[in-house]
Amino acid sequence: MPTTPQQLSPIEEQEKLLDEALGVVKAQAFQMKRCLDKYKLMDALKHASAMLAELRTSLLSPKSYYELYMAITDELRHMELYLLDEFQKGRKVADLYELVQYAGNIVPRLYLLITVGLVYIKSNSNLKRDLLKDLVEMCRGVQHPLRGLFLRNYLLQCTRNVLPDVPEVDNEDSPEGNVRDSVDFVLMNFAEMNKLWVRMQHQGHSRERQHREKEREELRILVGTNLVRLSQLESVTLEKYQKLVLPGILEQVVSLFPDEFHIQTLRPFLKSCAELESGVNVKNIVISLMERLGNYSQRSNVKNIVISLMERLGNYSQRSDGVGMSSSNEPDHPNGFLADVQLFEIFSDQVSSIISTRQYLPPEDMVSLQVALVNLALKCYPAKVEYIDKVMLSTVEIFQRLGMDRLESNSMVARELSKLLKIPLDHYNNLLTVLKLQHYAGLMQHLDYSEEVEQALSLVSTLVADQSDQPSGEIDLEELSEEQSLLARFIHQFRSTVSDQQYLILIAARKILGAGGQMRIKHTLPPLVFQAYQLAYKYRDNKKEDEMWEKKCQKIFQFSHSTITALVKAELAELPLRLFLQGALAIDQIGFDNHETVAYEFLSQAFSLYEDEISDSKAQLAAITLIVGTLEQISCFSEENAEPLRTQCALAASKLLKKPDQCRGVATCSHLFWSGKSLVSNREEIHDGKRVVECLKKGLRIAKQCMDVSVQVQLFIELTNHYIYFYEKGNDQVTVQIINQVIAKIKDEIPNLESSEETEQIQKHFSNTIEHLKSRMECSEIDGVSYKDIEV
Amino acid sequence: MLVLVLGDLHIPHRCSSLPAKFKKLLVPGRIQHILCTGNLCTKESYDYLKSLASDVHVVRGDFDDNLNYPEQKVVTVGQFRIGLTHGHQVVPWGDPESLALIQRQLDVDILISGHTHKFEAYEQENKFYINPGSATGAYNALDMAIIPSFVLMDIQNTTVVTYVYQLVGDEVKVERIEYKKN
Amino acid sequence: MSFFGFGQSAEIDIHLDGQETRKTAEVKTEDGKKEKLLLYYDGETVSGKVNISLKKAGSKLEHQGIKIEFIGQIELYYDRGNHHEFTSLVKELARPGEMIAHTSYPFEFSCVEKPFEVYTGSNVKLRYFLRVTIVRRIADLVKEIDIAVHTLSSYPDMNNPIKMEVGIEDCLHIEFEYNKSKYHLKDVIVGKIYFLLVRIKIKHMEIAIIKRETTGSGPNTFTENETIAKYEIMDGAPVRGESIPIRVFLAGYDLTPTMRDINKKFSVRYYLNLVLMDTEDRRYFKQQEIILWRKGDKQRKPNLQAQNTLVASHLVKNEPHQDNKENQNTTNNQSQQQSIKEDFTRANNSQSTENIHNDPFESKTTEAPIQNMQREAGDGQIDTEASAEQ
Repeated sequence: MPTTPQQLSPIEEQEKLLDEALGVVKAQAFQMKRCLDKYKLMDALKHASAMLAELRTSLLSPKSYYELYMAITDELRHMELYLLDEFQKGRKVADLYELVQYAGNIVPRLYLLITVGLVYIKSNSNLKRDLLKDLVEMCRGVQHPLRGLFLRNYLLQCTRNVLPDVPEVDNEDSPEGNVRDSVDFVLMNFAEMNKLWVRMQHQGHSRERQHREKEREELRILVGTNLVRLSQLESVTLEKYQKLVLPGILEQVVSLFPDEFHIQTLRPFLKSCAELESGVNVKNIVISLMERLGNYSQRSNVKNIVISLMERLGNYSQRSDGVGMSSSNEPDHPNGFLADVQLFEIFSDQVSSIISTRQYLPPEDMVSLQVALVNLALKCYPAKVEYIDKVMLSTVEIFQRLGMDRLESNSMVARELSKLLKIPLDHYNNLLTVLKLQHYAGLMQHLDYSEEVEQALSLVSTLVADQSDQPSGEIDLEELSEEQSLLARFIHQFRSTVSDQQYLILIAARKILGAGGQMRIKHTLPPLVFQAYQLAYKYRDNKKEDEMWEKKCQKIFQFSHSTITALVKAELAELPLRLFLQGALAIDQIGFDNHETVAYEFLSQAFSLYEDEISDSKAQLAAITLIVGTLEQISCFSEENAEPLRTQCALAASKLLKKPDQCRGVATCSHLFWSGKSLVSNREEIHDGKRVVECLKKGLRIAKQCMDVSVQVQLFIELTNHYIYFYEKGNDQVTVQIINQVIAKIKDEIPNLESSEETEQIQKHFSNTIEHLKSRMECSEIDGVSYKDIEV
Repeated sequence: MLVLVLGDLHIPHRCSSLPAKFKKLLVPGRIQHILCTGNLCTKESYDYLKSLASDVHVVRGDFDDNLNYPEQKVVTVGQFRIGLTHGHQVVPWGDPESLALIQRQLDVDILISGHTHKFEAYEQENKFYINPGSATGAYNALDMAIIPSFVLMDIQNTTVVTYVYQLVGDEVKVERIEYKKN
Repeated sequence: MSFFGFGQSAEIDIHLDGQETRKTAEVKTEDGKKEKLLLYYDGETVSGKVNISLKKAGSKLEHQGIKIEFIGQIELYYDRGNHHEFTSLVKELARPGEMIAHTSYPFEFSCVEKPFEVYTGSNVKLRYFLRVTIVRRIADLVKEIDIAVHTLSSYPDMNNPIKMEVGIEDCLHIEFEYNKSKYHLKDVIVGKIYFLLVRIKIKHMEIAIIKRETTGSGPNTFTENETIAKYEIMDGAPVRGESIPIRVFLAGYDLTPTMRDINKKFSVRYYLNLVLMDTEDRRYFKQQEIILWRKGDKQRKPNLQAQNTLVASHLVKNEPHQDNKENQNTTNNQSQQQSIKEDFTRANNSQSTENIHNDPFESKTTEAPIQNMQREAGDGQIDTEASAEQ
């Protein structure tokens, strides 16, 4: 009668498989023991190997595998005892350690290796250290989680009584090993088992995950045995614990963070940290732990995302360990386990208990603990602003408890604190979020430059806080400028999408920041000015929606004007000059009602600063060049405004302190008369060729007055280039004759120059100029410009 | 050889920081030289560049207070003479012919200038001109559509491959321009 | 030899000097069995006595002379008729005449050159033998005796480790290292595999030792691949960053020294084949030739050897084998320069999501794809011909 094969339930299936495997084990074990009785070691090993081959199976569940493992290792004991007996009788079983390594399959091979290795160790303790190292290393060959876990468990079990447990002695290199070797051994095994255990979660089908996780939980105990082993080592002193064991365990606990198992160990672990004797650098431990946890949970987020995505696609064939695919995903919501474990709470509590029980902890260490805590919170719970605030509050409390009201500037603790305060700014990049931190301002008060920051903050909270003068002792300029530029960067965060509100923000900020004093406003006001200019553009762009825009722009430029003037009053010159010029440019572009007057005012302010406040020759040249460059761009002036401004520029240039500066200055000014624009030219370039040539001639005259011949030649060449420039632009006032004259002059002078690097440069410059002319001549008659009469 | 070219950061006057996406690209150890067109404005910005490469050349921008920065500078990288100037001194600003004057004066193969906050790279009379734009995309009164940008030059023998990185919207776009020296 | 029932017959016995104490070596016979033969080395004198005893007492043996030859020859199985003798020495033992009684003839081939090692392969056999011939009118009386010859090498001057990065783009990148490129027959291969990128589900990894025997030349070249050993070195799937140790003892396998172009007739080469198998039974492998050589046996009795040195030598992982100390320095130095890096790039995980092309920042990560590892579909049955591609 034909029978349909009966469908077995999974449990029955397992039972059947296990039974079969156990059957083989029983038979092979019997053969093995029989051979041992006959002293046929080789044959016994063969049977042992065949028995162990059952452990290669992938079909068994962890539970069944465990049963099989127990049965087999039980039988292996016979082999071990036999070998031990042989050894003790003095019968050397040579090369056995090598012999078992001929086994072709790795799982049986390693079980045998461990068994034989143990016998070796027991019979010759001189091999202990090397063998332990070798065994734990060779076990790497089994990467299959389940098989690897059990193999390593076997290793751990076999070696439990032979781990060297003698204190480490300096300069002693005993082959028997010491406690350090044991710790290394166990930690390494622990690390590897952890990895395997973690890997288990990614195996198999997702629908079985729950079941698998349950099984995996059960295997936890195997991993944990390593820790038990460590604790049994009597020679582990406190010092050893700190230096060796703790960091090692930490590494493991931390590197495997996504697993609930380890998370659950966190609390007792941290508790023990807090209870540790003084002298242990708990700070470093906890901080590094938190940093790693932070990093890890971000990564594991990515991993989870990737995994779930893959599941949805039903694509099981390509497994990724996730880590390799990490990208810059933002963990927007914490993982389930993060929520459950309340990572932040754990650390927060532990940090505060560490701080409160350790009065001798320096304040800067306390603060840096808080810094780490903030980093952790931002990484794991980016949405939880309250966590940050909580840290801020507890830091405030620490300072209160310590009675530290104002922190000495530049002290360690002050530095830590500014670090702490900087994190939210850098991270959120949005002041409104920072504003949600109610204790932020409170914390800031502890800084000695709190003045501004505090105000800036109260400003954004749209409340004007009372401002009491803050005494500031000696000021370190560099430090100050660093702080202030930080604050200045911060100002760019004062943003509102509503222009009118933005204006109010600027007004308020200006009011508060303006009181900062000369040293500070040079950092803090320019950003406000630029913010104001940008705001004006915004109004212009929205002019259709806001009929008041021109008025508002005027107001903005009034505001800018007064802000810049505040800088002038602070005895600054170059900075306000630049800001005025920037203002003029903006006004010209925006073109609101009455803008010409305003622009003119801005430019004249720049001029008077130039004339009255800037005395250094280098700075003068820089300033006039900038004014000329700016003026060249501005097109909003009517001729009665434009003309005096240009003339004034040319005049100022010709009055510069040094002859070469004068010469270059006027040459630069020549452009004002060519590409400069005004209303009379309908905002087109004015092309006043005559005035251009006047400037250049003036330049030639000045150059001739230079005493130093090489400077003179240099200037001639520069001027030649300007002539050529305008010649090419079609300025009919620039004649071939002039150019030829200057070139001839240069040619006359060059041979007289003493040979020097400078002369070489001059010659190069000249030959480049001639080359340029030549290349132009070749393509002759470009835009009607003829080069044919130029003599090169 | 990788040469980073950037400038017109204007931190803290006009911007709070470099775009994060740029910072991520700029990692220490890859770049051999930095040529900065100026307007670093603060020592911190300079220190930041120093952290990316030890060889940093800066010229003075109109908003730099540090008078130790030269107005112009010539740096030789491989077979190239590279001129560096901020460009606010060159009137009219950004004018190719006026820049050519500087090129001839400095006798350089490549002239790098800034100030306009607008990326440019072009060849003219077999010389190469680069304006890396503003790395922060800082405000410029003359141009409201500033795209943050910087340039990376890969110099090999007589060839410069110029990569421009622009932050368009939220994305970094890269373009490539090659210049060969005759 | 008394086919016709008359005439004398004799028994020839070749006695080699010191044959009671001389070392023997096992040599495979063509039918796969092994026989023990006396072992000689190159340049050693082969001497002894030829004893001829007459079967019928009192009757004389007439002969045309007695000679002894020392012959080294190569037999190609597909060309049985032609034996290629590369060594042939003759000594006359007796001039033509009559032998009346049992006679002994001493002989000596002094300092004989024995350039090659005896070898029995699947298509070729190299053997040395002594042949005594009593020349007679009708049927010669002949006696042959084979000897074994081993060629010994000294330690190679250069013995660089084999180091290589190989992979299949975006799929699998590994770096492997064998501590040497030349191993003696009792050596231990020590090495490691480092996984740089794993995007396949690996089931296991093994090292196979493959012997490739090439006979003949030109169109008549026959190549025979034989997997001498398969040795599993990893079980399960590693992740990126995992490093797997390799340790293979060669002593247990039936190996010969590498033979290159022996008398223009044949070659025997050995390869290590690193094979990874994925869960879909695709195989990924990389072959590397290793040179095998025979080391002169130090007269030592393994059983008496101190055990710790025995074990310790197995434990050595990254250093050359203990015996090899004299070469250690040169080896290490050269290993630096010579470590092979094939046209292969490690693919970094792309950190940035930006859309960057032609970007020098990224160029280090986007180099050419690597194809220097073979992949083939498999059925899970590892086989010898799998490596026979070329």
